[in-house]
Order: sequence, then structure tokens, then C-alpha cells
Amino acid sequence: MEQQAILAIGIFLVIYALIISEKIHRTIVAMIGGLLMVLLGIVDQETAIHHIDFNTLGLLIGMMIIVSITADTGLFKYIAVWSAKKSKGDPVRIMISLSIITAVGSALLDNVTTVLLMVPVTFSITRQLRVPPMPYLITMIIACNVGGTATLIGDPPNIMIGSAVPELTFMAFIYNLAPIAIIIFAVILPIFVLLFRKQIQTTPELKQSIMEMDEKELITDHKMLRKCLAVLGLTILGFFLHQLLHLESATVALAGAFLLLLLTGEHVMEVALTRVEWLTIFFFVGLFVLVSGLIETGVISQLAAQAIELTNGDPVATALLILWLSAIASAFVDNIPFVATMIPMIKEMGNMGIANLEPLWWSLALGACLGGNGTLIGASANLIVAGMAGKEGHPIKFMTFFKYGFPIMILTVLIATVYVYFRYLI
Amino acid sequence: MTLTYRHNKEVIQISETPNVSDVEFDIKVLAEDKWAGIKELQRTFEDNDVHTDVLFYPYENHHYKVIVRIDYYADFILGLMKHHLLESVEWV
Repeated sequence: MEQQAILAIGIFLVIYALIISEKIHRTIVAMIGGLLMVLLGIVDQETAIHHIDFNTLGLLIGMMIIVSITADTGLFKYIAVWSAKKSKGDPVRIMISLSIITAVGSALLDNVTTVLLMVPVTFSITRQLRVPPMPYLITMIIACNVGGTATLIGDPPNIMIGSAVPELTFMAFIYNLAPIAIIIFAVILPIFVLLFRKQIQTTPELKQSIMEMDEKELITDHKMLRKCLAVLGLTILGFFLHQLLHLESATVALAGAFLLLLLTGEHVMEVALTRVEWLTIFFFVGLFVLVSGLIETGVISQLAAQAIELTNGDPVATALLILWLSAIASAFVDNIPFVATMIPMIKEMGNMGIANLEPLWWSLALGACLGGNGTLIGASANLIVAGMAGKEGHPIKFMTFFKYGFPIMILTVLIATVYVYFRYLI
Repeated sequence: MTLTYRHNKEVIQISETPNVSDVEFDIKVLAEDKWAGIKELQRTFEDNDVHTDVLFYPYENHHYKVIVRIDYYADFILGLMKHHLLESVEWV
């Protein structure tokens, strides 16, 4: 193996280990990793920039802007309280309805944004009912990752895959992944009800206090809300039609975001742009450049060749290997860096003779998204919920989440295995 | 030392129920010119980085339940004072 390749692997492994260890913020680590690839001449700057997936970044930025402005109108709090009232203030029904809202929100917005909206509302409702927030937060994390599996824009792995593979359009993701996401969600929700129902009991008086709330008071700006809903609706419609319109998803998202900024004014723009998760964006930038070092030195090609050798190029074995490898790996390392590494590998498998790559892409998407439920570090949304919960005095310990998340993850990947096998491989 | 406050009962009705880790306030804002103030106070606490410091639950007719974490009691009382919802605040 060439010296450059060995150096690239060394840098990659060290950076990966630092990301997992969380001793230094992962954005700093990823950016340093990317910069090392350039500084040490493994890739030049132009090549590095070429490997940055600006479609992924643009999509995330656009949606973050739209959602942060919409959140200021109180819409998401309204939806949560409205659903709590529809649930008659019952803690178990509220857990179900908040999970459904999280799953749907996660499918249409991105995971990180969804949990940033739902966690504060969850604290508010659980505090009023005097029930522990932990069951709601754990269920929310799982629902978020499952819901995000359903669409191209729902989960960062899907955004990255959809961006790298133009044939996998928004509708293709819905057609292929939404059914299995819905099935999985329907299976796991009753499990959570059984697991947590005894922990979340409250009094009739506290239920009544939920019922008497005036959720309309939570909407702070009706005029802005109308603008936000119109733009959100247009943006989502744009995603459905993006193939027809020959537009990338980032163009749709950024068009929506800046249309909304045009309608809402300069002050809103200043606040909205500060609320973009720039740490996440730069994490992606660093990661893309880091992985570019492995691509340009041929490491990815070699890994792909070895994977094909392992499975003899058999589509069934290859797809299921990718599904389970992605799931297990995504459980223990953040699924974003894992997918960033796998995408070029699968493309290389295509170059090496595997004719139909679609089952592999869906296996990667399912494995990476569902695998994110395995541990607290499996997905960005998990870490954000845990971070927010810790700040509010309700820390979610790694092992606490693991004992719920890992078995659920295994179950969901088993269901996905059956789906992938019968839908694509026979 | 505890923080005590006085309010005009024709402007605002306030009652407190202390719990282990928080205090529940039952607030009814009677004076129309104070409605914006309580909303502004709500916005202040909702926009900050702490999600569970002060939680507002709106009901009809400018009636609010507010759950205030013990460590934010003073911030909340002073916030009410800032928005002219209290007449005086004193350490005793």
C-alpha cells in the first residue's frame, strides 16, 4: 500500500477515535482531520473542495432556517399541546402522540431540527403532568431515527445518499423506505408503551390542567405563521417535485429559506442565520474532506474490492452485509461519518461489476438510520437530546439508553432484513 | 433570606404553591395594559438557553400557570417586577 494511503488511513482512524471519545468537540476534530489531509498533500485544496457535498450542506442550512423561523411563531408548541389535549391529558397517549409528531416531523424536517423543537415541549408537558421525562425522551430519540428513515430529507445519512446518487429522488426514498419505516414504527411503539406505562402515571387533576390549556395562546405571531406555513408547504411540495423540476434538494430548501427571509425581514434574518447549526455544518465539511483522503489514495477502492471478494459479488450477501455492517457500525460510531465512508465504497462496487446498486443503497440507508438507535452516540439527534436533557438535570446515561435502544435496533434491523430480502433480492 | 413581593390585586392575582424542586404560580392578569408584559416575560424565558427554568402554561382570559424551578425563583420574581406586574420586591 502506498505511503499516502497509509497516512490517510492513520489520520482517519485517529480522527474517528477522537470523534467517538468526545474528548474534543467533533467539529474541531473533523475539521482538523480534513485540514491534515490537505496540509500533508494527500489531497490538494481543489480536490478537497470538490469532495464537499454542498447539496447536503445547502439542504441542511435551508431547512434549519425555515424551521427556526417557524418555531418562533409557536407552531410546534401549539401542535404538541393540541395533541396532548386530544390525548385527554393521558401520559401514555401523550407519549404516543409526541412520538408520532416526532416521527412525522423527522421525516419532513431533519432529525436534529426536530429534536431541537420537540425536547423543550416535552419538558414542558412532562413537568406539568409531574411525570419523568426520560421515557418520553428515549421514545422520542427512537421515533426520530425511525421517522427520519422514511424520506430523503429526514436523516443526514439519507440526505448524503440522495445527494450522491441522483437517481434516488425524493419520491424514490418515499416509495422504498416510507413503508418499512411505518411498519417498524407501528411495531416498536406498543413495545415502548409496555415498557414505560407504569413509570408515567399522573393524577386526574393534572390531566385536567392539560385539558384546560388554551393552545391558541401559544401562537405568538399569526401573520408570520401564515407566511411560514405557506413557504414550508411550497418547500415540501418542491421536494416531491424536485426530479420533475430538475432541481437538487438543496436548491429547493435554500429557495424556501430565502423566500421566507424575504417575507419576514432583516431582523428575522439575523436571528435565523445565527440559529443555523454551524457546528453541524462544519462537522460535515471536515468529514467530507477527511474521507476524500481515503478516496483519492485508493483505500476505498481496495475496501470495496475486499467486500466483493468476501461475498463473491453475490447481491443478496452484499446487500445484507451492508445492512448489518451499517447498522452495527452506526450504533457505535456516528452514522454520518460511516455513511460518508460507505458511499464511495458502494459506488466503487458499481464500477467493479455489481450491476444493480439500488438494494445496496437502500440497505445502507436502512442500516445507517436504524443503527443510529443502537447507542447514545449512534446519531446526532441522540447526542443532542442527551445534551439537552443533561443540561436540564435529567441526564441520559449511555447504558440506560443502550438497554432500550440496542435491542430495539436489532429488532428493527431484523424487520428491515426481511423487507430488503423480499423486496429487492428474490 | 427570602424574597417577598407586593402586588396590586386589581392588576394581577398571584398565588404560589411550593413543591420540592419548584414553585407553581397561578397568575391571572386583570389589567389590560399588563397583558403584553406577561407575554414579554414568557418570551424572555422561552428564548433563553435553559428550557426548564420557567415554564408557562396559558389558559383562557389571561390566566397562566407558571412552574418555576427553585433556582430561578428570584429571576422570575424580578422579571415580574421588571414588567410592572409587581409593586415592590424585598429581601426579608
